[in-house]
Amino acid sequence: MMEEENSTPDAVGLSWCDSSPLLWRIEDLKWFRSQGLVGALLGSLPRTPRQNGRMGRPLLLLPEEERLLTERCAAAALPAAKHCAVEGADVHQCVKQYEAEQQQSYEEQRVLALEDRKSALLRAMTSSHTDPQTSDEALQRRLEALDCSFTFPLSALAVQLSTARVGLTYCHEDRAFLQANWPIRKQDNPRCEVRYQVFSDLRGRGFYLTSAGKFGGDFLVYPGDPLRFHAHFIAVCLSLDESVCLLDVLAVARLGSNVKKTVLLCSAATDGNVLYTSLQWSGMV
Amino acid sequence: MAERNSTDSAESRYSEILSPSELFAARSRCHKIPVRGQKDFFPNDSDEQRQRLEQSLSEHWSLTSEERVERLGNLVKATWIPSDQVVELQSPAGKFWQTMGFSANGKQYLLPEEALYLMECGNLQVFYKDLPLSIQDGYERFLSSNTVSLLQYQVFGHLKRLGYVVHRFDPSSQPSTYARQLNLPQSQDKAGRPLKRKRSVSPTPMPTSSRTEKQDSTTEMMEVDKDEKDGKPPGSHLTTSPETLEVQCSATSTADEDGGRTWWAGDVLECKESNHSTTSTSSSRWDFSSIPFPDLGSRESLSDSLTSPDPSLLPGGLAVGVCDVATWRQKINLRKVAMSSKEQGREDDRRRRRGDVNKDREVQQCRNWTEYQELMARRQSRCDGRPAHLWNREVTPLHDPRQPLPTRELLEKISVIKSTNLLEGVSRLKESDEWGICFSVYQPDSVAEFKKSNPGKPYSHMCVCSFDGPVPDLRAIKLLASQTGDVPVVFAVVDYGDISFYTFKDFQLPLDVYP
Repeated sequence: MMEEENSTPDAVGLSWCDSSPLLWRIEDLKWFRSQGLVGALLGSLPRTPRQNGRMGRPLLLLPEEERLLTERCAAAALPAAKHCAVEGADVHQCVKQYEAEQQQSYEEQRVLALEDRKSALLRAMTSSHTDPQTSDEALQRRLEALDCSFTFPLSALAVQLSTARVGLTYCHEDRAFLQANWPIRKQDNPRCEVRYQVFSDLRGRGFYLTSAGKFGGDFLVYPGDPLRFHAHFIAVCLSLDESVCLLDVLAVARLGSNVKKTVLLCSAATDGNVLYTSLQWSGMV
Repeated sequence: MAERNSTDSAESRYSEILSPSELFAARSRCHKIPVRGQKDFFPNDSDEQRQRLEQSLSEHWSLTSEERVERLGNLVKATWIPSDQVVELQSPAGKFWQTMGFSANGKQYLLPEEALYLMECGNLQVFYKDLPLSIQDGYERFLSSNTVSLLQYQVFGHLKRLGYVVHRFDPSSQPSTYARQLNLPQSQDKAGRPLKRKRSVSPTPMPTSSRTEKQDSTTEMMEVDKDEKDGKPPGSHLTTSPETLEVQCSATSTADEDGGRTWWAGDVLECKESNHSTTSTSSSRWDFSSIPFPDLGSRESLSDSLTSPDPSLLPGGLAVGVCDVATWRQKINLRKVAMSSKEQGREDDRRRRRGDVNKDREVQQCRNWTEYQELMARRQSRCDGRPAHLWNREVTPLHDPRQPLPTRELLEKISVIKSTNLLEGVSRLKESDEWGICFSVYQPDSVAEFKKSNPGKPYSHMCVCSFDGPVPDLRAIKLLASQTGDVPVVFAVVDYGDISFYTFKDFQLPLDVYP
């Protein structure tokens, strides 16, 4: 059974950081998005780390997204960093392997750097000289000189700072990585239940959802991928029997009209359906 | 063998390791972020929209899948020390050292959140067991409830990316409420601060040799004082100026050397204080009304030394000898106030007018309190023109109409609910650990002349909480405000990827009614 799960592409490996579910591997991120789930990117963007506009991996899952995956059996917990730690002689072997890889990388990059320099020289020489014979000779001499004198300092070696854990090569429990050691996270709070019902219903209707704290609601509801579309609704989740303060309703309706979105009051009915009520400021005078 | 194979396939599926040629090519990578185009309003299944979505998505994936590639020469090397939850630098620090990190025992360390941020910025390569840690390793190993939580790191990273200098909040660097009330000069604090920072974060117990005994004893005494006095309401009646306090402190520390007199100095300070506040002190464990206070100023009654205090008032096992007050008396102006005849006359007049109730004949005729009160009521109604029935009950009008007052003072007098500020009454609140300040934040423009050893006054203090959590109540806000003095407390509220900042401020309602 484990093997089965292992081979299905429709499962993501979740890692836990301080009890929050995070996705690290780009395949997992892509698959997650393909399911119409958005999440929230938390990390610095490698290309330009010092800005907050575009963020990079890891991707944090909303509790509803996490539960949706769990119910579809589409996620598995990856072993935590601590459990991947290698011990004793294995460490020594891993270090050796790492050093060998670094050395090999250095050699290859040195060759590439030399080629780079040569082709630059070639370009410079051929464009500036007109006499083919003398330039050919000179070129040959220059290239030979370059071969002898070329040094590639170790400090110029390009190294990768991996985003996701290279893990599996260093990890004992490689094969058990899709183990069902899923931490059972109780969400017995009735609000969580309503939120989940609303989330799964709206997702089932093809909407994309993100968290709407900044708009005073539970979810922002997008008609398509948030990369290309604006959100149309602010979903506010309520229990059916919950009484609502009129001022709160007015406040959220007013805010919604200011940001050109419709406020949806969403409640889960006992039969499993979700009831939606839209609030609009009519603006009549 | 079968096992080996499956490992390989899993690896090829999941590893995102670049080959040497890819690494080499990445050196000339573009650092621009593609601009996001105008969004559409509604999906209409057109090819054009689908194409644009595909383009956006591919841009998105190429950005998020990009791996960090740095030249080895630009990377600072460091090791993770899990037992101490710090990262030790192995090669010289970069520019970041001006605002981050600390040294201890001749080594340079970074706190886990600082190390993780620098890893994300591509400035630092952290090794553990001689193998490099990935960003994921960093998140999973560095962030925990006993260092910095993920939520807190999100806020830390957000502020750092904006250029702010962010340090962990160190409560010991804050002047105590008492020190603030006295307007204690900060100099002493400054001397203590760098050591304290080191001490609080240092992985190993630090020898505090550089910290002198004298300093210790004074700060300890200050803390004792603070405990004693926290029971009294703020807006201290104590008018000790910084200079006199310095005198007392130095007296204490010199007393250390010849021994014994420390207790007297402390007592004097305490008694003086308590005499002022006996009426309002309720929580104090001393009954100050029963402790005699020597009147050093009166010449008649006092010899040149004070007898030992009642042993029951002293901590156990402490013997306090006779106190020589001669030195104290030298500091006091003992000359009798010589009044001029005019002043004397005025004084006599005042005494006469105030009169002695017991000499009043009508009062003398009263046989009990009821009669006395009736007499008083009669006298009262005789002399004023106000409706007596309003004034002879428990509840009386707020203002006596016979006493004219300017409008503003009148308004102030009749305002039953007085406005208050955030710091009022804080000392009566019990400490709670529900809410705590996480970070001290300094503004980006201060980076150039920023000193870790003397960071100065922070721009704000940051509390981290989640949208799922409760809103801080007034009690929590007051407590937090009391910890930071005049530096505003900002609440960083994290909503998954979004962070919003809120602050609660005192607001003075404008008064525009003036006479």
